[in-house]
Amino acid sequence: MVEPAITLFGDAYERASSVLEELLRESGARYAMLLDRKGFVLAHKEALWAPRPPALDSLATLIAGNAAATQALAKMLGEPRFNELLHQGATHGLYAEEVGELALLVVIFDNSAPVGRVKLFGKRAVQALEVIAQDAVVQPGNLGIDHEYRDGASALLDELFGN
Amino acid sequence: MSTINFAAREINFKIVYYGPGMSGKTTNLKWVFQQVPQNRKGEMVSLATEDERTLFFDFLPVDLGEVKGFKTRFHLYTVPGQVFYNASRKLILRGVDGIVFVADSAPNRLRANAESMRNLRENLAEYGIRAEDIPIVLQANKRDTPDALPVEMIQAVIDPEMRLPIFEAVATTGVGVFETLKAVSRQVLSRVAAG
Repeated sequence: MVEPAITLFGDAYERASSVLEELLRESGARYAMLLDRKGFVLAHKEALWAPRPPALDSLATLIAGNAAATQALAKMLGEPRFNELLHQGATHGLYAEEVGELALLVVIFDNSAPVGRVKLFGKRAVQALEVIAQDAVVQPGNLGIDHEYRDGASALLDELFGN
Repeated sequence: MSTINFAAREINFKIVYYGPGMSGKTTNLKWVFQQVPQNRKGEMVSLATEDERTLFFDFLPVDLGEVKGFKTRFHLYTVPGQVFYNASRKLILRGVDGIVFVADSAPNRLRANAESMRNLRENLAEYGIRAEDIPIVLQANKRDTPDALPVEMIQAVIDPEMRLPIFEAVATTGVGVFETLKAVSRQVLSRVAAG
């Protein structure tokens, strides 16, 4: 517990979810996710019409790794940061943008959603999410995990990996 | 740093397998992937070169189950071991909760073990973390190597104060793999519970 963490719950989670929902509605994208920089999913939404997304954990991990590598490249080139990340294939596209220091917004879209529209509404969503994420930052040591939790988790380790 | 998602009721921890090239980090993950039941694991992602050397990282999410209403998940990562890939190795350490240092027991890899540990300390320092402040478990892997060095000798080089727990392993056959993972996981849990 050495870095601050974002803990989204209650009202903050609901607000983040509505921002993602609105983003999907306005941009016509398939999926929208809020990740932390280490690749953990904080919130995600899928358009009702969209097919099932690929494994979210894998997506989030790869996008966070990709974003981290991109930032490292920016620094090597003397830029403080590259603000956005855009990948476009024949059918699918992926757009990622920083949400403050600790989080990332990811939008996955197909060719029915113009990229300009995704970026426009994506940037708008980032502004709203940045405020929510800032409010949800918790300092190390204040995450509220107790010894009962630790003991329960420890017993599950034995169950899964053997004694 | 663990991440708590109260709305989805999940707690996630990040564990990174570190160590010199070819010491068996990916083999550890592969063993876990093979042995853990389908419903307790996600996809294993490997970003490797054509000759199966890790290029960026390997990733495996493991579901521990539900504790006090929270789904608890460990995200296991490996780093590329080759000296050449330090820039990407550093990136993987961001937000790490616990580290398994996989050392190679072969005599000609003793120096590589030491250099990798020094590199780990340097990379942690770049995130403002002292190696003493984060759970680290050592694994002396490839104990089946015919001329394997004594475990004490390996530890003397990578952990001269003999402060860290060390496990003997043959990751290709699974020996010591779960023991190591359990030990680091327990330390991580103790640490967050202690706040």
